Amino acid sequence: MTAAITTPAIRLNHLSFGRPQARILENINLQLEAGHFLGIVGPNGAGKSTLLHIICGLIEPDDGHIDLFGECLSRGSRKRLLSQLRFLPQRQEGMSGMPLRVRHVVAMGLDSAYGPLWQRAPHRNLIDQALERTGIMAYADTDFRALSGGQQQRVRLARALVAMPRILLLDEPAAALDAPAQAKLYKLLRQLCDELDMSIVMVEHDIAAISDYVDSVACLNRSIHHHALRGETIPEQVWHDMYGNHMHIVAHDAACIGCSSHGDGPHNNETHYGQNT
Amino acid sequence: MMHEFLASVVMREALGPATLIAVVASSISVMVLAHRLAFLTVGVSHATLAGLGFAVVFSLPLLPSAALTAIAVALMLGVVSPKRGMNEDAATGVLFAGAMALGIVLLSGANRHEVDLFGLLFGNILMTSSEDRFWLVCGSVLAMTSLIWLAKPWWGMAFDAVSMRAMGLPVRRYRLLLYAVVGLTVVMCVKLAGIVLTAGLLVLPAASAWLWGRGLFSIWLISLFVSLIGTWVGLYVSYMLDWPSGATVVLLLCAIFIVSRITHRLVHHREARRHH
Repeated sequence: MTAAITTPAIRLNHLSFGRPQARILENINLQLEAGHFLGIVGPNGAGKSTLLHIICGLIEPDDGHIDLFGECLSRGSRKRLLSQLRFLPQRQEGMSGMPLRVRHVVAMGLDSAYGPLWQRAPHRNLIDQALERTGIMAYADTDFRALSGGQQQRVRLARALVAMPRILLLDEPAAALDAPAQAKLYKLLRQLCDELDMSIVMVEHDIAAISDYVDSVACLNRSIHHHALRGETIPEQVWHDMYGNHMHIVAHDAACIGCSSHGDGPHNNETHYGQNT
Repeated sequence: MMHEFLASVVMREALGPATLIAVVASSISVMVLAHRLAFLTVGVSHATLAGLGFAVVFSLPLLPSAALTAIAVALMLGVVSPKRGMNEDAATGVLFAGAMALGIVLLSGANRHEVDLFGLLFGNILMTSSEDRFWLVCGSVLAMTSLIWLAKPWWGMAFDAVSMRAMGLPVRRYRLLLYAVVGLTVVMCVKLAGIVLTAGLLVLPAASAWLWGRGLFSIWLISLFVSLIGTWVGLYVSYMLDWPSGATVVLLLCAIFIVSRITHRLVHHREARRHH
């Protein structure tokens, strides 16, 4: 990565997680500038979600430390630092059993939504803006449970965006979306980085789908095997280290990150993982 | 008949505490349902028997001792549950049986005139001392204040606690407070419905409201309404037919719940047919 001129939004130093004999993450070093869009790819069980959980303070690393906006993430600074960060966890079933209107779900992304009862939280324009951005304005007063999986995902995205965080962490945000909606989502995220200087870390399976939008891709399997900037080629050895030898390579556009000139990259559906999982 | 009911001193004195309990229980029941704590309320209410046993043996005031036991047990379950390896369900079951057994052993040694075991098990709202009423008011104020303060985070947590923690909100603290308040409310309900029937007061109002409400406040209001109707009509019916009051109230709440479900189904069927 280029040398930092301003304080980086995220900085991970020698981060490790898990027992020393069986590390889930090992010696992760990462730095993210404001406005940078980072994609993280890797096989199942590579520790991608764990890494996101550590960055947003859900679990504590066993080694190393995390700086957000140039300040160490600790018990004391946690509340202040994390109020400028939002995390969109992987989609889960069974949490949608509560009667809630879409507008209220989105409002839950604001700190002011958790005050005492007498405190009214208007912020209507912020909520409207988030609904508009994610294209779900029409469902503002619909019951959240009545929406389809893809629509629910967009509501959750709106909730993560509503406070205009400086850091956004996304764990497979496109899992419930069809291809056009996926492209729209990535485009929106790109726009947020460019216009609002938001820093985004996104975990995604399909490197081909995101490579047009992200600034860089980190290949993660226990440790970061490679960190490629846009247009850079990821050496074939990295793929072998990450996925083992039984991987199926399919052709991609030459312009995408990670593909060499004759075009190769992993096809995640048909990859057989080695002993690294 | 109504005149007779209101003329009865016993009933008039029971009406105040019963109403107070109805308001608190129905408000907390919204959170019980949102967080799926129905089984916890059962466990905690049975565990209060151990507290009452100790209170009788060491002649401590009954309601505060029971309240402390309930809060301690609820907090214990709140601490145990997030840890891996111990299922909250199993933990509740173990505590439920253990505390109940301890309570029975302790109470068996007590003088039969000291303890109204039937009242403890099935409620005795018709016999509230002024001391009881004082503790009931204290508990209600505490529970309602916490609810006014924390209803929004509690509601949000039930929806998605992970995102809230990632925002830097003290979700663990909120959860422990919720468990403590549920424990406190359980003890107050024991006064009206008894150990065995308490879960009814803490589940049925919100369960009836759940299908109709569109958010926290509408569910809360409907649940409040259901609970008050159930309690008032229940007391009246229990007086008229000479039924045990706690059981009558719970029975009425059950009836409201069933009617609410059936009506909801009928209404939705009609709506669905109109859409076709």
